[in-house]
Amino acid sequence: MSQRTVSILHLYPREMNIYGDRGNILTLVQRLKWRGFGAEVVEAGIGDEVDVPEADIVFGGGGQDRGQIAVGIDLQRHAQSLHDACIRCVPMLTICGTYQLFGHGFTTLEGQEIPGISLFKAQTVGSTQRMIGNEIVDTDFGRLVGFENHSGRTLLDAGQAPLGKVVQGFGNDGQSGYEGARLHNAFGAYLHGPVLPKNPAFADFLILQALKNKYGVSELEPLDDSVEQAAAKSAMNRPQ
Amino acid sequence: MPTILTIWIAKVILSTSRRLGRGSGGALPGLVAERIDSDIGRKLARKLGEGSIIITGTNGKTTTAKMLRKVLEDSGRQLVANRAGSNLSRGIVSALIEHCTWTGRLHGELGIFEVDEAAMPAVAAMLQPQLILVLNLFRDQLDRYGELDTTAALVGQGIASTKAQLWLNSDDPLVASLAKYASAPAEVRYFGLSHAPGGKLRHDATADSTNCPICGRALIYTKTFFGHMGHYSCPQGHFDRPNPQLVAEHLKLEDDESKFNLNFGTTQTLAISIDLPGVYNIYNAMAAAAVAQSLEIPNQSIADSLAKAEAAYGRVEKISIDGKQLYLLLIKNPTGFNQVIQTFLLNKKQQKVVFLINDNFADGRDVSWLWDVALEELHGCWHQYWSSGIRAQDMALRLKYADLDYEGVNENVSETINNFIAQLSEDETGYLIPTYTAMREVRKVLGTKTLVSEDWL
Repeated sequence: MSQRTVSILHLYPREMNIYGDRGNILTLVQRLKWRGFGAEVVEAGIGDEVDVPEADIVFGGGGQDRGQIAVGIDLQRHAQSLHDACIRCVPMLTICGTYQLFGHGFTTLEGQEIPGISLFKAQTVGSTQRMIGNEIVDTDFGRLVGFENHSGRTLLDAGQAPLGKVVQGFGNDGQSGYEGARLHNAFGAYLHGPVLPKNPAFADFLILQALKNKYGVSELEPLDDSVEQAAAKSAMNRPQ
Repeated sequence: MPTILTIWIAKVILSTSRRLGRGSGGALPGLVAERIDSDIGRKLARKLGEGSIIITGTNGKTTTAKMLRKVLEDSGRQLVANRAGSNLSRGIVSALIEHCTWTGRLHGELGIFEVDEAAMPAVAAMLQPQLILVLNLFRDQLDRYGELDTTAALVGQGIASTKAQLWLNSDDPLVASLAKYASAPAEVRYFGLSHAPGGKLRHDATADSTNCPICGRALIYTKTFFGHMGHYSCPQGHFDRPNPQLVAEHLKLEDDESKFNLNFGTTQTLAISIDLPGVYNIYNAMAAAAVAQSLEIPNQSIADSLAKAEAAYGRVEKISIDGKQLYLLLIKNPTGFNQVIQTFLLNKKQQKVVFLINDNFADGRDVSWLWDVALEELHGCWHQYWSSGIRAQDMALRLKYADLDYEGVNENVSETINNFIAQLSEDETGYLIPTYTAMREVRKVLGTKTLVSEDWL
């Protein structure tokens, strides 16, 4: 039997690449590989032909405003297919800038509107305060730790579920106490760090959903996560 | 308060802190002087007969400043310079105070100042330099500066407040785009590489600014050196790499030295040889030569002095302990880390390497950047790795996901260093690769074993 392989769609890796979020891709690939699965990473840039329905996992990271404007416009081409994928329960992880664009959009401090795709019912507004620091969040996947660095405040519409509750840090907007957003298996978060290496339960949730959708896999072989846990513990002990 | 009184107060603080052994004075005298008279920096800078020169950019400020000082001092110039790391306005004011006599006269005719990118608006306006050199702009400590474009805008704001001549790196699109801030187009000059041996690392994912500064589209590269350095153009024709007036060509990279020819755009070329490895040090040397040339230093003197220049504090330091050789290689961001990998680790086998990762303010509190480092490049080198520092566990995790085995993880820096040196056999070489505050700790430990230079300049 040929190797069972997961296709990971990495959205805009060139434009949204400055906060180490690539580590999330490395984590998905390695944790699949260590369990005997293959992984194929498809990079999608501005103007590229992208076959979203072929993706088993979708990922997009954080970037700078300049990259985000061009990405916001290009992303509209895939709005419908990403919504469809979300309804099919395809796991998606969007961080920071891409998270903002998976919402209604981003209104910058200067009043510029960067359009989103409204997959999450959430609006982001620029602020003068930069929300920076080690962040801890309680979620369905346990306590997550990461590093946030954003000036956009994201406000969830009524009925939009968050990823979790902030234990330490600012989260979406510094006030609501919520971090991120969730719809089916699609997630938005401000957590860099990157988030998946130090939070393997979250990584494995995404992986399991992908394998379930594609191959009917119902559980994952456990891995030795002692290094991951030690790193998460040391990160949680750092001041905000 | 009269200026002379401000100088006196600051000088008393300077000599007191020295007597109390609080290092060599650092930023405190300047900080106090600026509290008393916010205009003191401008007043003192005006006393420099030949004005001043600003060196800014993410990587290489300290090394380039050191090279440039060597060239200029060898030519008999009297310089005023700030200490490495004291690159905010207070550090520069401290340096000026240090060179003032008690009667308020300034010893020194030309200021050579390395300036933090975020401090550029204040410092450039204060110094009104005759020349500004911008080396490169990489992501670095995003927890402090926010975004890289913000950093670039701060540097631009500083440039716009002066009438300075500019030397810009043509291979860095973000730096080249700063030309728009110049007081006049005629004041802008560029330096760049014709090629780099080996090109970019396969796993180098750092390309922090590869979009057209005008339309935001991905630039098309015909050559890539490292990070976003290379030969590029906008697919829509908005923005091309400017043609440099000063070109480094025929690069030859060795373990401990580099050779290249400098082409001044005429038929003459100048052969340069430096005792420092790596393409990034060729950029530093070329930038120092560019400024020296603008100051009308004869070409052969430039070459002779650069041949004798040494790396700055902790950058490429070789320390010998009981016949064991230790390299101390500072890392601050993914681009610098990749350059260390390419220059020191890639073409060797079975070396012993310690990574020391802190996340204090001066290191950058976010360690996410480790995941953008091309560690995967080291497959097949069979080095042995140790991980230390406050975020030792994060580095160990990074190594795990790069499929690199490691020998040990210990947050405690002094234990790690002591054990590491103890297990090195005589004549063996070890590589210590720390972030900034970890480097300070490492030097303290090494200082108990051998004479470690405390020379900050």
